Amino acid sequence: MEILDFRWDIIWNYRDYFIRGIWVTLALTLCGFFGGFIFGVFLGLGKNSKRKWLYWPCKLYIDLFRGTPLLVQIFIIHLAVIPSIFGHSLGFMVSGIAALILNCAAYVAEIIRAGIQSIDKGQMEAARSLGLNQFQAMRKVILPQAFRRMIPPLGNEFITLLKDSSLVTVIAANDILYAAKVVSGTYFRFWEPYLAAAALYLILTFIVSKIVSFIEKRFSIEYNPRKNKNDEGRVVA
Amino acid sequence: MIKIENLHKNFGNLHVLNGIDYEIHEKEVVCVIGPSGSGKSTFLRCINLLEEISDGAIYIDGVKVNDPKTDINKIRTEVGMVFQQFNLFPHMTVLDNITMAPMLIRKMNKKEAEALAFELLQKVGLREKAHNYPQQLSGGQQQRVAIARALAMKPKVMLFDEPTSALDPEMVNEVLDVIKQLAIEGMTMVVVTHEMGFAREVADRVIFMDGGVIVEEGPPEQVFGNPKHERTKAFLSKVL
Repeated sequence: MEILDFRWDIIWNYRDYFIRGIWVTLALTLCGFFGGFIFGVFLGLGKNSKRKWLYWPCKLYIDLFRGTPLLVQIFIIHLAVIPSIFGHSLGFMVSGIAALILNCAAYVAEIIRAGIQSIDKGQMEAARSLGLNQFQAMRKVILPQAFRRMIPPLGNEFITLLKDSSLVTVIAANDILYAAKVVSGTYFRFWEPYLAAAALYLILTFIVSKIVSFIEKRFSIEYNPRKNKNDEGRVVA
Repeated sequence: MIKIENLHKNFGNLHVLNGIDYEIHEKEVVCVIGPSGSGKSTFLRCINLLEEISDGAIYIDGVKVNDPKTDINKIRTEVGMVFQQFNLFPHMTVLDNITMAPMLIRKMNKKEAEALAFELLQKVGLREKAHNYPQQLSGGQQQRVAIARALAMKPKVMLFDEPTSALDPEMVNEVLDVIKQLAIEGMTMVVVTHEMGFAREVADRVIFMDGGVIVEEGPPEQVFGNPKHERTKAFLSKVL
């Protein structure tokens, strides 16, 4: 049976491709996430706004990018948008990161909006009744609380993006999946390269989920008094 | 000190306040009573513009509150508010809850603000809780911290929106005692309350509201002892 005679040596032979693939996948994901995060914060705040001229463009953007497949967005950006603006392709990295940023921003925006809206409206009222303006109340009272609640869904988004970055392989990005394609194309063997790719993605997402849960614990200390007080019930600063 | 003229408030087609005229003088304690849905909380929240006013005017110290030219944030620093649900900031210690606004808005330095906070915590009997987080305190303690937080801005007026309604019965008095103490010290206060005994004891004047209007008002002896209006009598017969 074919399963029993795996030839892992072919993966080893192409290890450089896989190692490069890991770096490319990480670069795509990290750039896409942090770019998307910054853009998404503005979108999310905009969608939370009562001002119609701010709300509607943000809502439209979010609906467009959440309502269409990332794969289609990658093709449009790589084959249509960027060549139209620059006259030629700027390579898979630019197109890939741009697509991931634009896509990720829409999801982050919804996480930000939901996080802010999950904070009891009495918090805003209390802050405003003390004389804080909208911005001060957001900065001092709402966002610090909302941010803690956003950590788990943001972690999910990061993991989703890490996996979805494999779609960029369709515009010839040399990421992890591309390495698997090269190996399978060379040896006409499919189990080993794609299992190896799956294992690499699994290892990466596992590491990320560990980091996320660490960050979550780190920031939730104040919310869990039992963890940081001594016997007299005093909080240890 | 606070002058209310023909105050109206609608939520869509729902008319919550239907023309309120009232004047609250300095050092006066006014208790607002009435059945639920009578508009008493809305009335209170209109005073510092937590609710937008549909029609009419409110003046605090002669400044029209609902004037677009008025800096509402400045007005609110002069009007302390205590909520039914306390609304303490859960991500800050008791001390930070109290010092945040004075440092941010009154530009106090940390040392001054903390000295003030400890003084106020002493006053509400919670000095030893300064470094705890709100959720480590009982409801009554949280509400007393909320009072201290509002007092830290040194407001001219304090508004209390059913300050004891969310409390277990055995904690009601510790909060009412703090409010009574403020009354003795001469703080101008408007208190929406269901505690009739408290209103009777502390209020200079009592307002009975129903259907978005002031049905009856006067000294507590009069409103409680000899109500003129049928609706007041009906309400008091149910709650006293």
